[in-house]
Amino acid sequence: MWTDLLEAGIIVSVLAAAIRIATPILFTALGELVAERAGIYNMGLEGMMLMGAFAGWLGTYHSGSALVGIGAAVLAGLVMSLLFAFMVITLQIEQIVTGLALNLLASGLSTFWLRSAFSDVNKVPGISILQNAPIPLLADIPYLGAVLFDQRVVTYAALLAVPAVWLFLYRSRLGLEIRCIGENPKALDIKGHSVALRQYAAVLFGGAMAGLGGACLTVAATAHFVPDMVNGRGWLALVIVIAGGWSPGRVLAAALIFSFLDALQLQIQGVGIQIPYQLLLAMPYVAAILALMLRRKAGRAPTMLGMSYRRE
Amino acid sequence: MTLLAWSGWRIERRSGRSSFALVSALLSAGAGAVLCCALLFLAAGADPIAAFAALAKGSFGSTRAIADTLVRATPLILTGLATAIAFRARLWNIGAEGQVFAGAMFAFWCQSAIGAAPAYLQIPVIVLGSLCGGALFGALAGALKARFQVDEVIATVMLNYIIIYALSLLLQQGPWTEPGGFFEQTAMVPDQAKLPILIEKTRLHLGFVLALVLAAILHVVLHHSPLGYEIRAAGSNLRALQVQGVHAGRLILVVFALSGAIAGLAGAFEVYGVQYRLKSGTLGGLGYTGIIIAILGQLSPRAVVIAGLLFGALLNGSTLMQIRTGVPSALIYAIEAIILMFFLIAWAISQFRLRRLRDVD
Repeated sequence: MWTDLLEAGIIVSVLAAAIRIATPILFTALGELVAERAGIYNMGLEGMMLMGAFAGWLGTYHSGSALVGIGAAVLAGLVMSLLFAFMVITLQIEQIVTGLALNLLASGLSTFWLRSAFSDVNKVPGISILQNAPIPLLADIPYLGAVLFDQRVVTYAALLAVPAVWLFLYRSRLGLEIRCIGENPKALDIKGHSVALRQYAAVLFGGAMAGLGGACLTVAATAHFVPDMVNGRGWLALVIVIAGGWSPGRVLAAALIFSFLDALQLQIQGVGIQIPYQLLLAMPYVAAILALMLRRKAGRAPTMLGMSYRRE
Repeated sequence: MTLLAWSGWRIERRSGRSSFALVSALLSAGAGAVLCCALLFLAAGADPIAAFAALAKGSFGSTRAIADTLVRATPLILTGLATAIAFRARLWNIGAEGQVFAGAMFAFWCQSAIGAAPAYLQIPVIVLGSLCGGALFGALAGALKARFQVDEVIATVMLNYIIIYALSLLLQQGPWTEPGGFFEQTAMVPDQAKLPILIEKTRLHLGFVLALVLAAILHVVLHHSPLGYEIRAAGSNLRALQVQGVHAGRLILVVFALSGAIAGLAGAFEVYGVQYRLKSGTLGGLGYTGIIIAILGQLSPRAVVIAGLLFGALLNGSTLMQIRTGVPSALIYAIEAIILMFFLIAWAISQFRLRRLRDVD
């Protein structure tokens, strides 16, 4: 049975699944990358993804349009991150504590909302999920086409977001200012530019991306919303930013490695190899710890990460 | 800011915080949370007054209800204490959740080994087993931080997920599966191993008293012992402590083990005091609620006990609330988080004060 995994067809489907599975985490990690470059450690990602997943599902259900659902998810991420930004930037509350509080809030609110809207647990309606959108011609390339060019629209968007975030951070003025805040906010402040304003922008961007990432879990993957369905992906996104050394390209690589593990375990279950599923499901979390233990060579964290900027 | 300055006022940071600030922060957090709850009740289509009444009756309406409130509060006090002790040292142990599981599992493992031994042996084995299990699992996260510089928040969250799968594995196809059982749970524990009930016809068990005793011990340790001094000092300035010659890695390990041990106890009490069998569902969420309780309790053991009792009451009352008004009891988790948010915001605002510029200059 193990040899089944080496067949060309299986390899292609594992790789295609890896890229598909990477989508939500990639969106979230790219957003968090920008926020962390601005010195803000957003531990509320899990909650923001959860609200995104919920809003995406609810929006799609009520409107019948995935686009509305995705819009609702982005809005949910923005609202959550505005609250986060207000608490950590304006009120300067501990970033870790605030993030955890937001996670608990999202978990409680989404479950409550779900239960009060659909009181019968077994009759929660499903939505029709996004289908693959093969790119003409490119999708016909043998092997490569099936892996890269026969994906959902959100996946193309997530992959394109990688160079977009790189261009923004390294080739735009605002990107430069945001990177500066992570290293030396005082320099910007002395020049008369508002540190808080740029941090708000970075956090809101991170929140919108996390909302979008969450939406991918429902709108593009499963028809139903299940309480706490994000299941640690928000935390994995944080790990991926660290393992990716705070640079967009390496964040992509890290996200792909994690999602490859995930795709592999799905396939292992699929071909009927007898391994307890709990071991397979625990794999990404073990891998995350190993990645952080071995990350020495990866890039350096922004100096001001996690510390609120306070004028003397 | 500029608008404010123009109007002749400015916001500035207070030098110290008064107890008045704390009380007003708590009160405004309470008021805000009640208001939010009322809105959520309305959103769920229930009469807020009836819902609050059902909540109160469910948690304090009878001797039995009060006893159940104390039962619900027991593990929360413990996870609150576990979190508080770690946060005091600015070690962000989010792992009480998993350490509860580790404590319950290790206690179960030890207790199974002695089987139906007499009761005077059972309780020490259960208590020590859970302390060891929690401490080992806590120390694992501590070692990852001290030895490999792995961020403790992420390490503990990952370990939380891992241990839940580990328990599921042991319960599903493993040696602990209830013979002939369909659910993921163990068989009932022997009668001798059940924690003694304190008041007849209630479920109030010995664990509650032990939790209170532990809170008192931790209060003394924190304020009147060398370890407590090191914990508090690590919280304000770890560098200074290292200069004094304290081995930071050792302190991290000790704090994580201590914190894990306390959380582990909560797991064992749930198994041997309430459920009488080991299963995943009822252990989940205790650790995360403990974080809220620790923060509301200002990381002080005495206040953590009070916050734990409050949350025990909320959880206990929510069942009757759901029956009477149809409001899903999941509301309680939203309410807990809302209370925390309001408290954090009110507490942060109480650091600032408004002053007229005329008085400043």
